[in-house]
Amino acid sequence: MARLKDDTAQWIVLMGFIVSFSLFFLAIMLNQSTVVGQTTAEAVSEFPKEDIRGVRNVVIQSMFMDDAVNFNNKTTVQREIRTLSLSRQNAVVFFSPPIFDANGTQSYYFIHYNNGVSAYNETWTFP
Amino acid sequence: MVNSDGQLFTIEAIAASLIMMATVFIVVNTTSVYTPGDTHINDMQLEVIGSDALKAMNYPDNGTIGKSPLIIIVENGDGDAFYTLFNKSLNNRMGTGPDTIQFMANVTYVNRTGMINSTPLNMSRPLYGGEHAVHISQWIIVDSWNDHLVPARNIFPECPGSGSSCSGKHAALVEVLLWRD
Repeated sequence: MARLKDDTAQWIVLMGFIVSFSLFFLAIMLNQSTVVGQTTAEAVSEFPKEDIRGVRNVVIQSMFMDDAVNFNNKTTVQREIRTLSLSRQNAVVFFSPPIFDANGTQSYYFIHYNNGVSAYNETWTFP
Repeated sequence: MVNSDGQLFTIEAIAASLIMMATVFIVVNTTSVYTPGDTHINDMQLEVIGSDALKAMNYPDNGTIGKSPLIIIVENGDGDAFYTLFNKSLNNRMGTGPDTIQFMANVTYVNRTGMINSTPLNMSRPLYGGEHAVHISQWIIVDSWNDHLVPARNIFPECPGSGSSCSGKHAALVEVLLWRD
């Protein structure tokens, strides 16, 4: 650079730098804009919020059904909840009969939901 | 010869480039680019509207303990009532005319042999396959044997008569596909 006789060359080099830098930053911005929302979209569409709430709801409802002599209502309904969520919502749902505490006042219900991507585990206490 | 004129040019160029960059930055930021990743926003809104409408139908009237309108509709196989209730809560709007959300509803249940089966409830228009539909569902527990029907029968098609393998309570899933015209 020191050898250059004419200072317009400095100007040309400088402008070259400026233009190339601004192009570089513009390219970065353009590059980023195409993937905006990608991870958000994936996270949102993968998380089965309504499915989990629905299963939780119906499982808790089924806990309070009785096994009438002829129909085995509770057993049937709970078996069907497992079958339906496996085949229609691709989710393994597991829950067990209540476990009572030492006084027999509180009961604990364990609800598990897993669709391979999201897992949900809850200990629901009643009352 | 190198002289100090270049310094002034440099400072001016840096200032100019900063102004240019700022302008470009502001212009780029004022327009929003609708990327493929953004479609989930519309889908989510449709899903929220639909599952709220369906959930509202799955609560018993006015805090009473009993069957929700949705359960009664499924037990009676009353597709017309479903259409009226669901379509109204889905498409009615303040001010301008009704919205144009279309739906197709099925009831999915476990039949006598333990297989999954679906029976149509009602639809506002057939789904041809070109539509971009979202899926919502609502769990219900129904009585299979319905003696309000004439003649009294089991509501699920595979359950003839009143055999104990079919009667009693069953879990079922009301599944609805929603899309906009």
